[in-house]
Amino acid sequence: MAVTVEDARERFSPCSQQFVRFLRNNASIVLIYGIILLVVGIAAVFNENFRSPSNLMNIMRQSIILGLIAIGQSVVILTGGMDMTVAQVARIAGLTVATIFAAQQSNPALIVPLILLGLLIGTVLGGLTGILITQTHANPFIITFGIASILRGVNLAISTTPIRGIPKPYLQIYEAKIGIIPVNVIVMALIWIAAYLFTTRTRNGRALYAVGGSERVARLSAVRYNRTLILAYVFSAFCAAIAGLFLLARTGVGDPSAAEGMDFQSIVAVALGGISLYGGKGSIIGTLGGVLLLAALSNVFNLLQVNIYYQQLFLGLIVLIAVAAYKSPRSAA
Amino acid sequence: MSTSSAVPKSTSSRFSSFRPSPRLVRGVDLAGQWAAPIMIVVVMIIAAVYAPAFYQPTNLKTVGIQIAVLGIVAVGQTLVLLVRSIDLSVSAVLALGAVIVVQTESGNPLWISFIQAFAVAAVIGLANGFLITKRQVPPFVATFGMLVFVQGARLAYTKGQASGTVPAILRAISFEQIGPIPAALVVWLIVNIIFIFILRRTRYGRWIYAVGGNPSAARYAGIRIDAVVIAVHAICSMLAMLGGLLLSGYIGYVDLRLGSDYNLNSIAAAIVGGTTFTGGRGNLFGTAAGVALLILLLNLVVVLGLPIHWQYAMQGIVLVLAVALQGFRQFLLSR
Repeated sequence: MAVTVEDARERFSPCSQQFVRFLRNNASIVLIYGIILLVVGIAAVFNENFRSPSNLMNIMRQSIILGLIAIGQSVVILTGGMDMTVAQVARIAGLTVATIFAAQQSNPALIVPLILLGLLIGTVLGGLTGILITQTHANPFIITFGIASILRGVNLAISTTPIRGIPKPYLQIYEAKIGIIPVNVIVMALIWIAAYLFTTRTRNGRALYAVGGSERVARLSAVRYNRTLILAYVFSAFCAAIAGLFLLARTGVGDPSAAEGMDFQSIVAVALGGISLYGGKGSIIGTLGGVLLLAALSNVFNLLQVNIYYQQLFLGLIVLIAVAAYKSPRSAA
Repeated sequence: MSTSSAVPKSTSSRFSSFRPSPRLVRGVDLAGQWAAPIMIVVVMIIAAVYAPAFYQPTNLKTVGIQIAVLGIVAVGQTLVLLVRSIDLSVSAVLALGAVIVVQTESGNPLWISFIQAFAVAAVIGLANGFLITKRQVPPFVATFGMLVFVQGARLAYTKGQASGTVPAILRAISFEQIGPIPAALVVWLIVNIIFIFILRRTRYGRWIYAVGGNPSAARYAGIRIDAVVIAVHAICSMLAMLGGLLLSGYIGYVDLRLGSDYNLNSIAAAIVGGTTFTGGRGNLFGTAAGVALLILLLNLVVVLGLPIHWQYAMQGIVLVLAVALQGFRQFLLSR
C-alpha cells in the first residue's frame, strides 16, 4: 500500500522524483558535505576568527597534504586494497630531496631535477608495491604495512635529525599564488579533477571499480587485473610523493618524522567520504569531503585550544562512529 | 544444461594456464611450515660466528623475556588470524594495561586494578568483535580505529606524562628467575600449553579452525560464527593486556611509546610461523617459532652494533617475506 502511494506521488512530481533518486544514489556524499556545512556554519557563527578569509584559506592549504595523499588512497581502496606506505613514501621523497640539496650547498638549479627525482622515487616504490602484491597474491594491507616498516627504517637511516639547506626558491612553491589562490591549492584541484575524470570517464578508471568489485568478474570481463592493481599503487605513491615535496616546501626542513599518521588519516578521510572499504563502490568526490571535514575539525579544535590528546581521542571516536554506522551490503564472510 | 556443467568448478584455474608441479606445491607448503624453525638454526649459527656476545647470559635473559612478551601477544594474534580477522589494537591495549595497573596502584588493592585492566581489555576485544561481525566492518579498519581511540583515551587520561611505579608482583612474574630461566618465559609456556590444548582438544578450538577454514560451511554445521569471532577477539585483547603487564614489569617504568611495535611484530611472528591470513591454517608451535626467530633477528641488530632503526627495516623485511611466502603457498594450495 505504502509503495503504491509513494509511486503515485513520484509519478505526479517528476522533479522531486529526480531529486529523491539523486539523494538515494549519493547519500553518503550529500551527508558528508551536509556535515561539513554544519560544522563550518556553527564554527563561523560562534567564532569570529574562524570566519576570517585568511583562516578559511588556511584550512584549504592545510588540507592539501592530506588531500593529495587521500586521492591516491581512494584509488587503492576502490580496488579493494589499502596503502599503508603513503606516509613513508611522502617522507622518503622529501628526505631524499633535502639530503641532496644539503650536499650540493642549496643549489637552486637543482630544483626541477630533484622534484622529478622525488616523483620518480614515489613511482618506483608504488610499482614495486604493486608488483609484490599481484605476484604473491598476498593481502595488500599486510604487505604495505611491512613495506612501510622497511621504509621507516630506511628513512631513519637517511637522517635521524632534520635536514637544513633547502634553497629559498624551493620554499616559494608553497607560498606562491596565482591571483589570490595558492599554487598548491590549484595543483591539488587539478589532480582531483583529473582523478575524478579518470575514475568516472575512462576505461582504466572503470577497471578500478571492476577490480574492487570482484576479481572473478573483472577477469571474466577481460579487465587486466594485475595491470590495474599496479597502476593504482603507482598512482597512490605518486600522489604521496607530491605531498611529500609540498610538505618539504612548507616546513623548509627535511623532517624524518614528516607526515606521521597520514596513512591512517587518509583512510579515515576515504571512509568518511563513503567509499566502501571492501572496494568497488563510492566516489572520489566523497573523499574530498572527508579531507575538508578533517581539516575543518582540526582547525576548530586549534581555535578552541583543545588539548592535542583530546583531539586524538575525538578522532578515534569519529572513526569508530563512522565505521559502526556504515554497513557493507556484502557479507563479510 | 551441458554448457553450465562444462564450466570448471575452480574459478582460479580458468584464468591462467599456470599449472604448478606437485613437487613445487609440496616444496612451498613445507617451506611455509618449516621456514621459522630452519631460519632459527641458521640465525643462531650466524650469531655464534659473527656476534658471540649474543650468547652472554644477560643477553639471553633479555631475549627470553622479549620472546615471552611478544609470544603471549602473538598467541592472541594467531587465534584472530585463524578466524580470518586481524587485530591492530594489541599495541594500544598492551600500553593501556601498564598505565591502568601502574597508576591506580597507589590507592586501590592490586587485585582490583588487575581485574580492571583485564575487564577493560575484554571490553575492547568485544567491541572489536562486535564491529567486525555485527557491523561487518573490515577487521583492519575496525581494529585500527580502536587503536587510535584507545591511544587517545590513554593520552587523555595520563595527559601525556608517564608516572607511577611498577608493582613488585609484576616484576616478580616477568624479571625474576625461576631456576635458570626468567619467570616471564614460564608464563609464556603456560599460556601456550593452555591454548594449544584448547585448539587441539576442545570443541571451541575446532570451531576456530572451522570458522576460519570455511565460514559458510561452519554456519551450516550449526556453529555460531559471530560468537566465536567475538570471543576470539576478547581473548586476543586480554592476552595483549597480559603481555603489557609483563612488559611493564620487565622495563620497570611506563613509557609513552611502550609497545608500539607489537602490532607488526605479532602479525609477522604468526605469519612466519605458518599461519595464513586467509584463515583456518596455522598452529601455535609455528607461532612460537616465529616469535623466537623475530626476536633473535631484532636482538642481533642490537648485538651487532647496528643503528637501532634497522630494527624497523628488519621487522618489515621479515613480514613482507613471510607474507609473500604464505600468500604464494596459499595460492598454490588453492589450485
